[in-house]
Amino acid sequence: MRLLSYASRRLLRGFATFLFAVTITFFLVRLLPGDPMLAIAAPGMTEELLARQIADLGLDRSLIVQYVAYLRELAQGNLGISFLRGQPVSEVLMARLPWTLLLTGSALLVTIVLGVPLGVLAAVKARGAVDRLVQMVGVIGQSLFVPSIGIFLLYTLGLWLDLFPIGSAVDPDTHGVARALSILHHLALPCLTLVMAQLASYVLTLRATLIESLGEEYCDLARVKGASERRVVWQHALRNALLPTTTLVGLQIGFLVGGAVLTETIYAYPGVGRAIFEAVGQLDYPVLQGAFVLLAATVVLANLLTDLLYGLLDPRVRTA
Amino acid sequence: MPRPSSAAWTLRALAYTFFALAVFALAGPMPANAQEPTRLAVGTTADVVNLNPLVGNSRSDTWVTNLMYPRLMQMSANGQKEPYVATDWGYSDDGLTAWMELRDDMMWSDGEPFTADDVAFTITAVTEEAIGITAGLVGGSFERARAVSPTRVEFDLTQRDGQFLTNMGFWMPIVPEHVFPEVGQVSEFANDSDWVSAGPFVMTSVERGQRYVLEAVETYPFAPGGRAAVDEVVFRVFPDVNAQALALRAGDLDLIANAIPPAIARALSADPSITLVEIPALGWAHMQYNLERPPLDDLAVRQALAHAVDYEAIRRIALQGQAGSTLSSVISPVLSFWHDDTIEEYTYDPERARALLEEAGYTDADGDGFYDGITFGLLYDQAAAEIANWAQIVRDSSAEAGIEIELTGLERNTYLARARDRDHDIYAGSWSIMEEPAAYLDLAFRDGGFINYGNVSDPEIERLLDEAQAATSPEEALGPVQAIARRINEQVYDNVLYYQEFQFAYNSDRWEGFVPQPSDLLSLVNPLSLASVHPVD
Repeated sequence: MRLLSYASRRLLRGFATFLFAVTITFFLVRLLPGDPMLAIAAPGMTEELLARQIADLGLDRSLIVQYVAYLRELAQGNLGISFLRGQPVSEVLMARLPWTLLLTGSALLVTIVLGVPLGVLAAVKARGAVDRLVQMVGVIGQSLFVPSIGIFLLYTLGLWLDLFPIGSAVDPDTHGVARALSILHHLALPCLTLVMAQLASYVLTLRATLIESLGEEYCDLARVKGASERRVVWQHALRNALLPTTTLVGLQIGFLVGGAVLTETIYAYPGVGRAIFEAVGQLDYPVLQGAFVLLAATVVLANLLTDLLYGLLDPRVRTA
Repeated sequence: MPRPSSAAWTLRALAYTFFALAVFALAGPMPANAQEPTRLAVGTTADVVNLNPLVGNSRSDTWVTNLMYPRLMQMSANGQKEPYVATDWGYSDDGLTAWMELRDDMMWSDGEPFTADDVAFTITAVTEEAIGITAGLVGGSFERARAVSPTRVEFDLTQRDGQFLTNMGFWMPIVPEHVFPEVGQVSEFANDSDWVSAGPFVMTSVERGQRYVLEAVETYPFAPGGRAAVDEVVFRVFPDVNAQALALRAGDLDLIANAIPPAIARALSADPSITLVEIPALGWAHMQYNLERPPLDDLAVRQALAHAVDYEAIRRIALQGQAGSTLSSVISPVLSFWHDDTIEEYTYDPERARALLEEAGYTDADGDGFYDGITFGLLYDQAAAEIANWAQIVRDSSAEAGIEIELTGLERNTYLARARDRDHDIYAGSWSIMEEPAAYLDLAFRDGGFINYGNVSDPEIERLLDEAQAATSPEEALGPVQAIARRINEQVYDNVLYYQEFQFAYNSDRWEGFVPQPSDLLSLVNPLSLASVHPVD
């Protein structure tokens, strides 16, 4: 029952967050400087024609009226029509979403797979050479700018060593297993870029909490009872130390999405981030808004799942 | 409640499964074997926005759709319109009927003949639905079109308009009447599948965000062998120019469609497999002074401003030498037929600028080094790297002449909005293609013109524009056009700084036979060029 009540509260909070995000982005997008008609208007276009096009796009109505209409359409799953392409926004974005999910999902997976052992290693060998190296690399990693990492990797691993392709998400005319391998081949560098940009957060967080856990009484008790240090670390201390890292996963999803805009642009990766980059330049409000809604939904959902998982892992949270 | 360890294992298993499924779902099914075609990979910085050639107006839109929907005329190296699909054209004696003769060997890729009906259909749709830039260029005088035979089309005009045929001939792609919807619905037609082409290539697949694949059609009369030498052209999208240049060097691209920024061009020039081709712009970069903002309505002030710009420094430093002088004329020397080489470029002479201001009564009473009231904002797009660079040179050289320039570099959309509202003292920008003087001078200098950013309103220019536009041959229009350019120069209505020499890069170890055409719109990716290029023997 407690778990159900906890889940309901989180669900309600997630919905409120989503609605808030939709509202904020709706107005933010429309407060962008410039006028979308400038992207559409052609030299010599008459005032009447311009007015007709503005009316067709609904831009002649007040912001509040546009907002209410937008929410009504959104409730029916309609994200609108792209100003410039004349294509439903959902079509534009759904073609892009799988690539972004693949990129961010794999980056998250690789980060955790690498981050946990590295964090443990740094904590166990605290103040040793490995720990110092991990910390140093971690600090450098945190201070790197995603496009700089991208161009560096493209230059060294793409051009110089010729190990990875430059640009796109898959080779044309490949199918089945060859296509899957091509996708992985193209995914490697953008994924590595995102991993490099966020790995340090995981490693350093886990290191700090694990060092703390290892000094707790329950670890001493385990040692007194004859448990090996390896068992103390992996079976006792790590479980508790992973809780803050789980929270970090939820928080870092937002970073991943932001990083995806830059990464997809550098690597010519065809995801939602690229669609945002293009829509900003063209002031294509519906695509921009739709992309934000989609990403907000992804982040809210990921956080919701993290919260629920946290509730499962730590019973104290459910009663908090 | 499950134990944490089993939850973690379940999650891990789920994560790996998600990853594997995602990769294989994106991979798709295995098809039959196919032979490797000859493929030319062309890099662009942006996706195609709209595949309807009458609606899409971005660079990428034009590069891709140009290969399928022919224009009636093509452009020579000096910007003149030359026969292409149209073999001949002219006007009736009263100038109220225009006519055009077409080739008789053009076909659409589905086997239907390309006829005068397609031309009449296209212009009717463009003008009735007021679609795109062509509607603005030809709509003013066009009344109706008639296909009088499969190879001859005639146009009724409401007034004499000597630019009608050349504007339409160059700017309007012809679309197939038997494929496009009826007039009234053409602008909403997405044209996103089952393409039919009368160009050298026809589109076969689109992967938005990644690539646009076009295959050679079997007959294209303008190609050297009657068919394009390459089997496929693939446009690949690289939003970042640095990554794009790396892809060219790595052999992932064969040609970059967009002009290469000078700094990247320098790096590419060190690679022996890359050749850089210099192609002149058909436009120019300039500053326009807002005549509705005193004291910019004072000719002496505008002349002083013109003499306070170090033109050579701008071309040598900001453009790294990749620019030429137009002699301060709004008609670039690239348009050699129209250009008047007797016009003189404004000299950079701060002393003369000071003398002009002092003769006009301006003083520096507060002793701050600037003439009182001679402070102007310079509006520019901060993302336009070259302009952002030369704006600083303008500010510094103007200060030498006692003129204070405040730089206002803005985000592009805000910049455009301010320019549209004429909310600036000095507008800095560049035009990409200004190839038909009587037409573009009308847009830029007629009272109320769409891009008249200087708010110029000069009866003499209006009269000359009327004269130039009524002329039905270039020879007849030449006099008034050159007179307009001279008056703009004398009155400093516009201060043209340079025309750019764009650089384009391709892999010359692999490819040869490109046919360059002027401007960054045509450059090496025009239909003739891509129909002619072939692998190096």
